Amino acid sequence: MRLVDKFTLWFMGVFLLVTPITTFICYNNIEKKINDAETARLTDMNERVATQLKSGVNAEKEMKGLATEIVAIPTQLPAQRVQVEKEAADNNFQKYHENRLAVTSYYTINNKNYKISSYSYTPKAEQILSSILNTIVWKLVLMIFCLVISARLVSHRILRSLRITMKKIENFNVKRKLTFPHTGTRELRELNSFLQKMTDKAVEEYAAIKEFSENASHELQTPLAIIRSKLELLTETDIHEDQAALISDMQNAIEKLAKINRSLTLLAKLENKEYEVSESIRFCRVAKDVLAAYEDRIEMKNLSVKNNIDKNIQLKIHPTLADMLMNNLLGNAIRHNVQNGTINITLTQRQLIVSNTGLPPEIPTDELFQRFKKSNQCSESVGLGLSIVKQICEVSGFKVSYNYSNQLHVLEVEFYPSATKEYVAGTTSHQNFEPALS
Amino acid sequence: MKILAVEDNKELASSIHDFLAREGYVCEVAPSFDEAQEKLLLYSYDCVLLDIMLPDGNGLELLKFIKGKNIQSGILIISAKDALDDKINGLEGGADDYITKPFHLPELHARLRAIYRRKKLEGSNIITFNEITLNTDTLEATVNNALLDTTRKEFDLLLYLVVNKNRVLSRQSIATHLWGDYTDNLANFDFVYQHIKNLRKKISAANGADYIETVYGLGYKFNSSNV
Repeated sequence: MRLVDKFTLWFMGVFLLVTPITTFICYNNIEKKINDAETARLTDMNERVATQLKSGVNAEKEMKGLATEIVAIPTQLPAQRVQVEKEAADNNFQKYHENRLAVTSYYTINNKNYKISSYSYTPKAEQILSSILNTIVWKLVLMIFCLVISARLVSHRILRSLRITMKKIENFNVKRKLTFPHTGTRELRELNSFLQKMTDKAVEEYAAIKEFSENASHELQTPLAIIRSKLELLTETDIHEDQAALISDMQNAIEKLAKINRSLTLLAKLENKEYEVSESIRFCRVAKDVLAAYEDRIEMKNLSVKNNIDKNIQLKIHPTLADMLMNNLLGNAIRHNVQNGTINITLTQRQLIVSNTGLPPEIPTDELFQRFKKSNQCSESVGLGLSIVKQICEVSGFKVSYNYSNQLHVLEVEFYPSATKEYVAGTTSHQNFEPALS
Repeated sequence: MKILAVEDNKELASSIHDFLAREGYVCEVAPSFDEAQEKLLLYSYDCVLLDIMLPDGNGLELLKFIKGKNIQSGILIISAKDALDDKINGLEGGADDYITKPFHLPELHARLRAIYRRKKLEGSNIITFNEITLNTDTLEATVNNALLDTTRKEFDLLLYLVVNKNRVLSRQSIATHLWGDYTDNLANFDFVYQHIKNLRKKISAANGADYIETVYGLGYKFNSSNV
C-alpha cells in the first residue's frame, strides 16, 4: 500500500468517527438554540403587550394578528412569573413535525392580575436531523473526494524528494558516492543525511577492500616474480642432478603459489562485483574458442568430445568471466578424466551442461564448491576452480550444480534459474527462456 | 638489441638484466619515472620494458610520454596488476604487448623478440637456425627446406625453443607459453612432454639434428651445439 493511500485511509477513518459525534452535538445545539431564541422572542412580546396594557392602550387592537391572548385572572400570581411550555403540535399540524412553544407571563397591572400567553411553532428535532444528515453526507462525500484528490497532488510534491532518494538508493553502486537533493522536510532531511553517511562509508570501505586486494596481489606478485626469475637464472648455472631436483620442486611450489594468488585475487574481485555487465555476448563463441584452446590436450588424452552447442546463445556475462567459466569447467572435465574417456558439452538457450567420465568423487559433490576442497586432497590442483565457477555464476545470476550419476560427473549451469523452476512446474510460457534473444 | 627496463624492483631488474645480457643484448635499468624519462630522451632503445607501478609515477604516463615524443621503441608493459583496465589502457595507449608478474624470463624474452621482429626488422618473419627455418607469418617450419607437418602448438613450441636456444626452459614456462590462461586446471607436464616428443620425432624424420634435450627433471633445452 502506498504511503499516500495509508494517510488517506487514516483520515477517512477519522472523518467517519468524528462526523456522527459532531452531528449529534450539532443536532442538540440547533434545537436548543431555536427554542431559546423563540422563548426569548415570545417573552419579549408578552412584555410589550403588558407595557401596552399598562399605558391603557387598547391591547385587543394592538394584538390583532398576534398569537397572544390576555386573560385577567382573579387568583394570586404564581411564584414563577414566566412559564415555558413545549408540547407536540396539535393534531392538525402533526404532519409538519413541529412543536408548539408557549410562553406564559403573569403581570399585575392596575391592581389587576393578568396572564399573558404567546405561542409559536418551532421545527421538531426530526425535521432538523434530516436536514443535518443531508448536509453531513454531502460534506463527507466532498471531503473524501477532496482528500483523495489533494492527497495525491500534494504527496506528489511533498514526497518528491523521498522518491528521488529512493531512486538514488536503488541505483547505488559501491563504486560511486551519492549526493542527495536538499529538502525542506525535516524527516527526509534526516533520512538523506543518514543515507549519505551510510553510502559514503560503503564506498570508502569498498575502495579500501579493493585497494587491499590490489595491493596484496601486487605485493605478492613481485616477490614471486623475483624468486621465479632467480630460479630460472640458477638453472642455467652449472648444477648437478640433485640440485636440479631441488630447483624443480621449488618451481612447482612457486607455480602453485602464483596460481593460488591469482585465484584468490580473482575471487576477491568477483566478490567486489568488479565485473559489471552491460552487454550480452555470444556465449557459444566463447565455448567454441575455449574448446579450441584445449584441443591438443583433449587429443593427447584421447578423449572423445560430443558437443552440442546451439547457435546464437546471447548471455549477459562479462567476457572475461565467460572465458574463465568455460575454461574452468572444461579444464576440470579434462583434468579429472580418465584416458580414453568422454566429455559431453551441451549448450542451449537456458543451460550449459558439461559432463565427463572420471573416478567417482570421494566427498559429497556439493562440498567441492568450497575453497580448497578437493576430491583427492593430495592431487596437484589448487582446489579453487569450482569456487571460482560458483562465484562467477553468482555474479552473473546463474545457478550451478554438480551431480555424479551413471559414472558421469555432471556440471550444470542454469542461465535463468527462476524461469527454469517455473518451467519445471509447467506454468511458464516459452518466452521466459529467451529474454536475451530479443 | 638495446633494451631499457623500467622496473623499480632492484632484484627483478637485475634478473632481467642478467638474463638479457646473456643473449648479448644491451640492457639498461631505470628504477624510476624520472630516470626513465631522462634515458629515453638521451638514448634510443629498440625496446622498453615498462612496469606500470613506479615509485614516482605511473607507467601508463610514461607510455604517453614515449608516444608524445614520438620515440620509436617497441613497448612491453610489465605489471603485477592483472586488472583488465590496465591491459586495455596499456594496449590502447600504444604498447605492443603486455605481460603480468610473475612472468617467466624466457617468455619475456620471446615476447621482446616478437616485438623486435615486428618493429625493427620491418616485420621480418623468418627465423633461421642452421637447417631449421620458421616463418612466423605462415606458421610454417622447414627442416632442410622440407616442410615440417607441425600443429600450431608444435610450431609455437619450436619457435619458443629456438628463440630461447641454449636456455633451460622449465615445463611450467613452456606450458604457460603454449596455453596462456588455459593451464591452471591441468597437470600440464605430460602434455608438454608429449608435444616435445612429437616435435623431436618430426624433426628427426626430416633428417634434422636432435637439438632438443631434456635437462634433469627441470625441463628442456634447445642445444645449438648438438649437431
